[in-house]
Amino acid sequence: MPNLIVTTRDGAEREIAADAGLSLMEAIRDAGVDEMLALCGGCCSCATCHVKVDPAFVGLLPPISEDESDLLDSSEHRDEYSRLSCQIPLTTELDGLRVVIAPED
Amino acid sequence: METTVRIQEYDDPNYDPFSSDDSNFGDMLDPYPLIAQWRAQAPVLEGDYRPKMGLQSATYPDRKMFTIVGSDEILTVLTDTERFSNHGYKFNIGETFGQGSISVMDNPEHGRWRKIFQKIFLPQYVKLWGETIVDPVVHKLMDKFVGTGRADLVEQFTLLYPFEVIYRQLDLPASDVRTFQRLAIGQTDYMHIDKAQEASRKLGEYFTALVEERRRNPGNDLVSLLANTEVDGDYLPPLVLISFLRQLMNAAGDTTYRGTSVLFTALLEQPDQLDAIRADRNLIPAAIEEALRWDGPVTVQLRMAKQDVVLGGVEIPAGSLLDVVAGAANRDPAIFTDPDRFDIFRERKAHFSFSRGPHICVGQHLARVEMTRALHAMLDNLPNLRFDPDKPRPEIRGTMMRVPKHLHVRFGD
Repeated sequence: MPNLIVTTRDGAEREIAADAGLSLMEAIRDAGVDEMLALCGGCCSCATCHVKVDPAFVGLLPPISEDESDLLDSSEHRDEYSRLSCQIPLTTELDGLRVVIAPED
Repeated sequence: METTVRIQEYDDPNYDPFSSDDSNFGDMLDPYPLIAQWRAQAPVLEGDYRPKMGLQSATYPDRKMFTIVGSDEILTVLTDTERFSNHGYKFNIGETFGQGSISVMDNPEHGRWRKIFQKIFLPQYVKLWGETIVDPVVHKLMDKFVGTGRADLVEQFTLLYPFEVIYRQLDLPASDVRTFQRLAIGQTDYMHIDKAQEASRKLGEYFTALVEERRRNPGNDLVSLLANTEVDGDYLPPLVLISFLRQLMNAAGDTTYRGTSVLFTALLEQPDQLDAIRADRNLIPAAIEEALRWDGPVTVQLRMAKQDVVLGGVEIPAGSLLDVVAGAANRDPAIFTDPDRFDIFRERKAHFSFSRGPHICVGQHLARVEMTRALHAMLDNLPNLRFDPDKPRPEIRGTMMRVPKHLHVRFGD
């Protein structure tokens, strides 16, 4: 059961115990973090689950697809740590993953 | 672009596709009190939305129908693709737009084609159209009445501009535009299904010829772009391509016309909020989202149960059709405080007017660009804007689709 540390837009940190098999987006949303909008429900069709991943974990994530990259380009807040959280399956290797919810566009 | 492609009128030139709007989509002034009553009873009701609202049922005798008004249940139906399907649309819009419409498909088939269309309508691209396409259209239309001091902002502006934006995107010859709009609107005249099918056939022939022509002689327009898009070394399947082009006019034109008309009406009814926007145009995005929430153009979306499910305590057999009332979630007091009030300053929360889930409106970013440009043009060109005291006040009407048919205003002096 990977543990996550999520920083919300007000700067508060939350620790979430997530079920493996969920996506990062689902784990954050299911923990009741309202600002994780994820309007398309997790099929890489919007950019409302944008997070910034702690640099220490970036190398452990699956590569960014062209579709994900296009959607991230729609955000004014994209940087090298940006990911759509619906595209990140949670695995035990990601235990302790730290992410920050990106500002709203 | 010069073209040799010919568009065909209806066989009956006296047929008026615009006059059937009320019988197809209803003309109720305010459906929200009734929706609130249902929500107070139960989140899921037996029976479809139309007859509950006094409209002729679009029933399918072999299927049960349900109306979903609880916000949690609405979100579940729209996002739980294991249990709920878009195949219900095969019976109506699939029949006229074509069964290649991505609206009638489920994933993974849906996602395969959607991502091609989605890429075209990404915010970073449609933002550029704001200047090159939307602004010229908006200013050309407004210039026609800006010196007169009075106008019907629906008839003379909102009803026209999103369609003109599409004509420019498709680079259609001006001579075809009127017939094109008549055919496009007629496609959803389900009360005269023969006309809807005729419109579908004639638009299909037109687009098929247009696609062929723009493969031979491509331009910078959307038809050329889509006609020459390749997936795995092949063109888009004709059924998918032609269905998309048929649907575009209604999906992009009709909805934006309604959304902009509601936005303008709401702001004129709340002059203090309009003044606030005049003083600070950074409020425009909030105003647009609030108009979409408060009275979104499309009140109801259709889904189908893929399996036997229990939803909101109600047993729903596999194959049942579900009327998902986005307008119920948008006015849910548990989500939006004082939900019937139009208030651009309210706490911002996501509305349901572009749907949720994999079918979330692919054109939503273009819609926002269009409404933004239209509102800027209104603020720039129509000072001292107010209702025309000599004309009836606008009435936003519609049971399935919402719009005021007229918006008589005065401005200047």
